[in-house]
Amino acid sequence: MTNAEMVEVSEVGSGVVIRPRLDRSARPFDSLSDADFEAAWEQPMRAAIGALQDAFRSGVKRIVVVIPTLAMSGGANFAHVAATAEALRILVKSAARQWGADGVTINAVAVAPEGFVDDLTGPTSIAAPALEGTSSPQEVIEFLCSDASSKLTGQTLTVDGGVWM
Amino acid sequence: MTSGDGQPLTGRTAIVTGGGQGIGEGIARALAQRGANVVIAARRAATGEPVAEAIRSDGGTAVCVETDVTDRAAVDACVAETVGRFGGLDVMVHNAFSGAIPHRLEDADFDAHWSLMSRTGVWAALFCGQLAWPHLRKSGDRGRFIIVTSPSGVEGSANIALYSPVKAAERAMAKSLAAEWGPAGVTVNCIAPVAASPSLVSAFEQNPALRVAIEARTPLGRVGDVTDDIGSVAAFLASDDARYVSGQTIVCDGGSFMGL
Repeated sequence: MTNAEMVEVSEVGSGVVIRPRLDRSARPFDSLSDADFEAAWEQPMRAAIGALQDAFRSGVKRIVVVIPTLAMSGGANFAHVAATAEALRILVKSAARQWGADGVTINAVAVAPEGFVDDLTGPTSIAAPALEGTSSPQEVIEFLCSDASSKLTGQTLTVDGGVWM
Repeated sequence: MTSGDGQPLTGRTAIVTGGGQGIGEGIARALAQRGANVVIAARRAATGEPVAEAIRSDGGTAVCVETDVTDRAAVDACVAETVGRFGGLDVMVHNAFSGAIPHRLEDADFDAHWSLMSRTGVWAALFCGQLAWPHLRKSGDRGRFIIVTSPSGVEGSANIALYSPVKAAERAMAKSLAAEWGPAGVTVNCIAPVAASPSLVSAFEQNPALRVAIEARTPLGRVGDVTDDIGSVAAFLASDDARYVSGQTIVCDGGSFMGL
């Protein structure tokens, strides 16, 4: 797979939004082959790291990484997805610490897992959404790509309708 | 709660990867002190065997099995030898880790700053978890998978950018497995220690100010002991006393990082 197939990079306002393409399938941990894990962990991580490096070198000052809330909650049969998503969420913090002096802010947006994976089975949350309807993260992403968010870095904003708090 | 002769881990068998030094050695010693049969899975027998011998001379039960955790077949062989020798496997502790070299993210090179951490941290957790699982499942509510991670896996790292995602991945894996394996009674947890491992002691020797800085930011005022401050927490997680604790990361750093 090429990097472009493992990570989606888009421009929003004056910022760059990086969204990994994660494995969409539920896979019991004991069924994961090395090839599965290469595709679910190693390749998306390398592609996302490369995309972050490219974004920094481009001189952009606002970077957003979009991941599913599975990063923080974990999920049965999704260890391979949660591992990659959480790794990227925390890599955002390392980048924020290192790039702050360059005036770069970088944050994570955590969204409901349904947009990233299929076959969600079993509980992945402890409560129903507080808000009705679907919650698009677009407005929050636009905010994080704007000057208005210049004092915000290394954070995770969860936009899932108030499931995880 | 205890079993048999009053020791909390008597009759249990544990593998500790990276058990030949540092935090892994401390965990191995602490488990053995509480009665567990301990297999020290060390990359080199030259480091693992002396620890096993020291445990035996203290009255414990330990063997060293030379194991490269980045090699699935080697982990498989270690588990098979453990089960063959002791009749089962109750506790898998994945602690082995290497490759943490300071770097900036924009300069990071996959060969120099990523591959070894990814292999020894995340891939090895996959291998250890998968190969231990059939035995942990048999062990039921005594089954434990414990992964040694780091506070940097929660808060990021200004010095070693790519260390944090590797340690974060292990935490997410532990949470997922806690959900997946819970119905079998097996618990999965992480420990995030700061302790006087050989690498940190060596860093202190080169940079005495580092010790002063760490002690100054640590409410308890000292750097943890690998056996009595860190190993003891692994022993708790391995015991029946922790059977209702799963999916958690216990930060053992003297109160330095308290989470948010």
